[in-house]
Amino acid sequence: MAYLSMGEAHRRITDYLNRFSDAVFSQDVSSLKQLLSFSSNSPFLISLADALNLFQDANRLIKQSDKYSQFGDIILPLFRSLQNYRTGNLVESYQAFEKSANAFIQEFRNWESAWALEALYVLAYEIRVLAERADRELASTGKSPEKLKAAGSYLMKVFGVLAGKGAKRVGALYVTCQLFKIYFKLGTVHLCRSVIRSIETARIFDFEEFPKRDKVTYMYYTGRLEVFNENFPAADQKLSYSLMHCNPQNGANIRMILKYLIPVKLSIGILPKDSILVKFDLVEYSNIVQALRRGDLRLLRQALQDHEDQFLRSGVYLVLEKLELQVYQRLLKKIYIIQKQKDPSKAHQMKLEVIVKALKWLEMDMDVDEVECIVAILIYKNLVKGYFAHKSKVVVLSKQDPFPKLNGKPVNS
Amino acid sequence: MMNQGGNPQNLASVDPNVVENRYIIDASQSQTSSYLPSTTGSGAVPWNTHGVDNRSAENGNISNSTYYHEQHNEPLIRNVQDGQNATSLANSSSLGATNASDYNGYTSYPNASDPYGYGSTGYQGYYSSYQQPPNHSYPQPVGAYQNTGAPYQPNSSFQNTGSYAGPASYSSTYYNHSDYQTAGGYPSSGYSNQTTTWNEGNYTNYTSHQYPNYAADTSASYSSGPSGTSAATSVQYQQHYKQWADYYGQNQTEVSCAPGTENLSVANTSNQVCPVPGVTSGYPTANSQPLPTYTSTWQQDSSSSQMPSVQPTATVNGSHDSYWNHGAQSFQNHHVIPVQQNFQKPLDSNTYDNFQDQNKVACPQGPKSLYPPAQQIPPSYQPPPMQTSPLLDNRRVSKVQIPTNPRIASNLSLGLAKAEKDNSTAVAAKPAYISVALPKTNEQVISHDTADSVLKSGMFPKSLRGYVERALARCKDDTEKTACQAVLKEIITKANDDGTVWKRDWDTEPVFLLPNTDLVNKDLQSTPLSSLPKYKRSPSRRTKSRWEPLPEEKLTDKLASASNNTVKFSGWMHSNEKDRKPISGNMSKENGLSNVKFNPPEHKSGGKNFQLPIKRPRLAANTFNTAENGDASSDSDKEQNITAYYSGAIALANTPEEKMRRENRSKRFEKASGNRADFNHFKPKNAGIGNLYVRRASALLISKNFEDGGSRAVEDIDWDALTVKGTCQEIEKRYLRLTSAPDPSTVRPEEVLEKALLMVQNSEKNYLYKCDQLKSIRQDLTVQRIRNHLTVKVYETHARLAIENGDLFEYNQCQSQLKILYTEGIEGCHLEFAAYNQLCVILHSNNKRELLSSMSRLSNKAKEDKAVKHALAVRAAVTSGNYVLFFRLYKTAPNLNTCLMDLYVEKMRFKAVTCMARSYRPTVPVSYIAQVLGFTSVTPTIEGYDEKDSDGLEECSEWLKAHGASLVPDNSGEMQLDAKASSSTLFMPEPEDAVSHGDTSLAVNDFLTRTSTQPS
Repeated sequence: MAYLSMGEAHRRITDYLNRFSDAVFSQDVSSLKQLLSFSSNSPFLISLADALNLFQDANRLIKQSDKYSQFGDIILPLFRSLQNYRTGNLVESYQAFEKSANAFIQEFRNWESAWALEALYVLAYEIRVLAERADRELASTGKSPEKLKAAGSYLMKVFGVLAGKGAKRVGALYVTCQLFKIYFKLGTVHLCRSVIRSIETARIFDFEEFPKRDKVTYMYYTGRLEVFNENFPAADQKLSYSLMHCNPQNGANIRMILKYLIPVKLSIGILPKDSILVKFDLVEYSNIVQALRRGDLRLLRQALQDHEDQFLRSGVYLVLEKLELQVYQRLLKKIYIIQKQKDPSKAHQMKLEVIVKALKWLEMDMDVDEVECIVAILIYKNLVKGYFAHKSKVVVLSKQDPFPKLNGKPVNS
Repeated sequence: MMNQGGNPQNLASVDPNVVENRYIIDASQSQTSSYLPSTTGSGAVPWNTHGVDNRSAENGNISNSTYYHEQHNEPLIRNVQDGQNATSLANSSSLGATNASDYNGYTSYPNASDPYGYGSTGYQGYYSSYQQPPNHSYPQPVGAYQNTGAPYQPNSSFQNTGSYAGPASYSSTYYNHSDYQTAGGYPSSGYSNQTTTWNEGNYTNYTSHQYPNYAADTSASYSSGPSGTSAATSVQYQQHYKQWADYYGQNQTEVSCAPGTENLSVANTSNQVCPVPGVTSGYPTANSQPLPTYTSTWQQDSSSSQMPSVQPTATVNGSHDSYWNHGAQSFQNHHVIPVQQNFQKPLDSNTYDNFQDQNKVACPQGPKSLYPPAQQIPPSYQPPPMQTSPLLDNRRVSKVQIPTNPRIASNLSLGLAKAEKDNSTAVAAKPAYISVALPKTNEQVISHDTADSVLKSGMFPKSLRGYVERALARCKDDTEKTACQAVLKEIITKANDDGTVWKRDWDTEPVFLLPNTDLVNKDLQSTPLSSLPKYKRSPSRRTKSRWEPLPEEKLTDKLASASNNTVKFSGWMHSNEKDRKPISGNMSKENGLSNVKFNPPEHKSGGKNFQLPIKRPRLAANTFNTAENGDASSDSDKEQNITAYYSGAIALANTPEEKMRRENRSKRFEKASGNRADFNHFKPKNAGIGNLYVRRASALLISKNFEDGGSRAVEDIDWDALTVKGTCQEIEKRYLRLTSAPDPSTVRPEEVLEKALLMVQNSEKNYLYKCDQLKSIRQDLTVQRIRNHLTVKVYETHARLAIENGDLFEYNQCQSQLKILYTEGIEGCHLEFAAYNQLCVILHSNNKRELLSSMSRLSNKAKEDKAVKHALAVRAAVTSGNYVLFFRLYKTAPNLNTCLMDLYVEKMRFKAVTCMARSYRPTVPVSYIAQVLGFTSVTPTIEGYDEKDSDGLEECSEWLKAHGASLVPDNSGEMQLDAKASSSTLFMPEPEDAVSHGDTSLAVNDFLTRTSTQPS
C-alpha cells in the first residue's frame, strides 16, 4: 500500500461524508448504494478504509458539521465497521454494521418516500453476507455463531418497517427473500411462516406488483418449503413459476430451481429430458431418471446411495426415495408387457414368483412375503389396478389400464 | 365542616377529575395519541360518568396537548368542581361520616353512597374494567409516559421494568395530573423527581396530611393502599403483581386512584419502609431515626394505638402489618395533629423525603430531617415545596377549596410547574387541606404510633441493621422471630431514646438472648386476637384482595379469608403471617373505629395524592417485593438494595439448572416474580434462617456489583459462586420440583449420587419409583452443575427406563440433554441413542425436515453401527409402508429399539390391514396376517404353525375384530379376513388405556393409590 498522508486520509473521509450527505439530500439512491456496499470491494471504499485506519479521529470530522453530524449515528459505526472489515475483523465489523443499519432504518422510517429502498436492499444484503462471514469467523474460533441470527432479527425489523401500507411495501419482498436465505441457512425454516403469511394474506398489495426478481426468489424458497412438506402440486406450481420468470441467462439460478423442481416433477410422474440434466449439470438425477424409465430398482438405490449426502443436504432425499414405488410399477409394467407378448390371454395374471425372479435378477434379495407386501402397497396406492390373490399368489391386473399414469398427480399417500 | 366535607369530596372529585380529565383528553384527542387508547378502554366508561358529574366543563378545557396545561386548567375546573363537590358533600352529611362513606364507596364497598358522583360503583367498574382490559387501555399510556417509567425502572431494578414502568407512569398520569406532569416535564430527574414531587405534593397539600398520607401510603403499600379498605385493594394488587406482572402496574395505579393518590405516594415511602421491617432490622432503624419532634409524636401514637405485637412486628418482621397499621394510625394522627403541628408536618414530610431519597439510592443520606433530601434530587424543587408548604398551612386554616390541592401538590412537585403550582395553590389548595385534616381527626383517636415507626425507618445506621439481621438470623421459626423482633424493637427504641443509636457500635454489640417465644407469642396474639373478630374485615379483605380482583368482602367471609390469607401467604412469608395477624388486629381496631372515618381521610389524601400515584406503583411494587422477600435491608440506600436484591435474588434463584427458565420467567413475570423466586430460593433454607440470611447477603453482594441490577444480563453473574455443593448423605430422595434455590443439606454430592444411581438400577420397584428417584438425581446433578460421565450415565439410564416403559415425555427430556452432553464430548453410548433418536423422529414426529437433518447429521461411522443401521432400515420401511419389513425389523431390533417401535406397532398394523383389505381379494388368511404383522413370536414356515403360534393367531383375530375387520372361516375352518367386507369397516379403536393428559404413568389408579397412603 502506498504511503497515505494524513491530509489525503482527511480528504478521503471528508469526501465520503460529502457524498453521503449529498446522496441523502438529493435522494440519490445509486450513489448512496455505493457508499454502503462493502462487499463490492470498490476501490473507493477500500481507500476510505485505509484512510480511516490512518486517521483515527473521524468522529471529530463528523461532528464538525451539522451536515454530517446528523448522520453520525449511521456513519460512525459504519466507519468502524469498514475499518474492521478492511482488517478482516469481521465480527467487530458486523457488530458495527448492525448498529449503523439500525440507525439507518431509523432514518428510513422517517423518510416519507421510498426513495432509499435500493440502499436498504444493499444494507439488507450486506448485513446478511457480513453475518455469514462473521459466523464463519466465530465458528473457527470455537465460539457459537450467532450473528446470522442477529441479522435475521434485524431484517425482521426491517420487514416490519416495510410491510405496512404505502410505497415502501414494494421492498418487503426483497427483505423476505433475504430472511429466507438466512432461515434456510440456519435451518429455522419454521420462522418463514410468519413472513409468508404476512406476504400472502395482504390484500392491499398484489403479489404481482413486487419486483420480478423478488417474486422469483420468493417462489423458489416457498417452493422448497413445499418440497419439505411433500406437498408436490404446490411445490410444482411455485417452482415452475420461479423457473418461468427467472432470468433465462442465469444458468446458476435455473439450476438451483431445477434441483428441486426435477424431484418434484419426478414425484408426479413427469420425467425430464437428459439434455436438461446435462445442460444444467444435474447429472446426479440422471441415474434416477434412468431407473424410473427402466424400472431398475437397483439403479435407483445405487443412485440414492451415491448421492446420499448431497440429497440429504438439499432435502430431496426423502422425495427421491419415494420414487421407489414408481420404479416397482415400471417393473411390473414391463413384466406385463412381456407376458402380453407371450400370451395375451393370461397377461393380466402375474405370478408373484415372476416378480421375485425379476427382482432377483436385479440383485434385489427379497422374499415372497416382502414382494407380496410391495404389490399390496402398489395396489393400495393405485399404482397398479387389480387385486392380489393370496392363496394362489397371483396379482390379478385390471384389464383396463392396469398401470395408470400419474399425469401430474402425486402418488396417493 | 362544610369545608372539610367539601375537601373529601373534592379529593374524590379530584380523583375522578384526574381520571376523567385524562379520559376526556383522550376523547378530545388533545392529548397525545397514546392516551387515546387508554381512554377508549373500559375504564373510560366509568370515568366518564364521573367526569360528567364533576367536570364536564373541565374536560373541554383540559384537552391540552401538554400536561402542564392540564394542570392549569384543572385547578380552575376543580374549583368549579369543588363547588359542586361541596354541595354534594353538604347533601351527603357531616364531614367524617360522609367521608367515610365515600371512602368506602371508593374502596369498592357497596355501602358507599355516591355523594361524590364517582361512588363505589365507578371504582368497581373501574376495577373490573381494569382487570379485564387493562392491557389495551394501559399499554399506550405507558408508552406515552415512558420517560417517567424509565427512570423509575432503574430504581426498582425490576426486570419487568418495561411493563412496570408503564403502569407506574400510567397511574400517575391517570390519577395525578400533577404527578404526570412532573414526570413528563422532568424525565431526566426520573424517580428522584417523582419522589420529590411526592414530598412536595404532600408537603404542600397537607402539612398535616403528610403524615396521614404517609400512613395511608404505608397501608396502601403494605396491604394495598388507601386506608383500611384500601389495604384490601392493595393486597389484591400485590397478588396481581405477582401473578400478572404486567397487570400489576395497572392494578396499582387503580389502587392508587381509588384510595387517592396520597396513598400512592405514601405507599412509596411505606414500601421502602416495609421491606425493611420484613427483613427485620432496617425498619426499626428507620423508625427511630426520624426527626426528634416527629418521632416523639409518632412514637407516642404508635405506643398507644399499635398493638404490642404490632410494634415488634413493625420493627422486625411485621413490616407490612406495622406499616399498614401505621398507615391507618398515622391517618388518625394526622387528623388530630394537623392543626396543631403544621410546622411539624413539613418536617415530617422532610423525613419522608429522606426516606424516599434513601430508597432512591441516589440519596444515601436519607435521614436528613428537612428538605435536603428533596433538594438533593432536584434543587429546583426545594423552593416550590417551601412555598407550597406555607401555602398549605394557610390553606388548612382557610380550608378553602380542596380540589385544587392535589394538583397543586403536583405542581409543587414539578420544578417547572412552580408558577402553576403557586397559582393553583393560591386558588384552591388551602381548603383542600383543611378538609383532609378533618377526616384525619376522626382517625386520630385510634393511634398514631405505627406511622411514627414508619417515619422513623430509614434513619438507622447500617450497622444496626446488620445487628438486627444477626439477631434474627438465629431465630428458628416465626414465633422466635417475632419474639426476637420485639426485643429488638425494645433495644432500638431504647437506644434511640437515649440517643445512642448512632453512637453504638452495632457491629460489635452482643446479640441478646433469644426471648421466650411462648411469652412473646402470647403477647403478640392476645391483643390482636381480641380485636380480630371485629377487625378481621380489613385483614381478610386484604387477603382476599390478593386473590380476588375485587376488594369486596363480606364480614362473615373475613375470618375465613383471613385464614386463607395466611395459608396462601405462608408460602412466601412465614413472618408475614404472624405479622399479619397482629396487623389485622391493629387494622381491625382502626377499621372498627373508623372504617368509615379512615376512608374519608384517605379520600382526601387520595385527592391530594394525585401527584403521588406515579410513585405509588413503584412504591407498591417495592413494598410488595420487600414484603415478600421479608427483606431486612432497608436503609438509606434501600432502593439500591432492593434493586441489588432483585438482581441478586434472580441470580440466586437461577440455579444453573433453571438458569434459562428462570430468566425467561422473571422477564415474563416482572420483578415480582423475581422477588418471589428469591423468596422461594431462601425458603428451603428456612430450616436455618441464618443460612438464609447469609445467602441473601451473598446475593446482595453479588447484586451490588451490578449497579443496574435487573438490567444486567444474567450471564454476567458468576454461577460458579452460586453453585450448590451438596452435603446430603441420603441415597434415596424423592423428587420435588424446585421452586427456590436448593438447600445444600438436601442435595447429594456426586459420590452419593453414584450410589443412588446404582440403587435405582438394582431396584425391583416400579417405574414410577425409579423415575422419581432418577429425576431427583438429575436435579441434584443439575443444581451442582455436575456434567460428566455420571451425568451421561444417569440420563442414559433414565432414557432407557423411559423407553422401556413407553414414557416418551421423559425420554425426550433425557434425549435432549444427552444430545448436549454428547456434543460436549462426554463419552457415552451415543450411537445407541442416535438410533433411538432416529426412531423417535421417524415414528413419533412427522417432521420431514427434522428427519432429514438428523439423517444428514449421522456420520459414516454411525451408519455402520448396528443399531443405527437398524433404525435407518426401520425408517425406510415406515416411509414406504413396507409392513413386512417393519415387523421383521421389529423382531430383530437391537437394544431398546423394539420398545420404541412398540409405540408404532399399532399404527403400522392398522395401515397394513387397511392396505391388505384394499388390495387382497377375496380373502387373506388370518394366520398370514398374524405372521406378517408380528403377532407370532417366530416366523413360521408357510405351511404350518405350531401351538406356540396359536396364541399369536388368537391375538391376531382378536385384534382384527377389535378393528372392525370381518373374519370368515373358510372350508377348512381356517379363519380368513374378508378383504372386501373389511375394507369399508376398518377403524382405529380408541386406545383403552388412553389418559386425557396423554401420560399413562399418571394414571388415576396409580395416583389414587399413592395419595391414599398418605395421611390426609
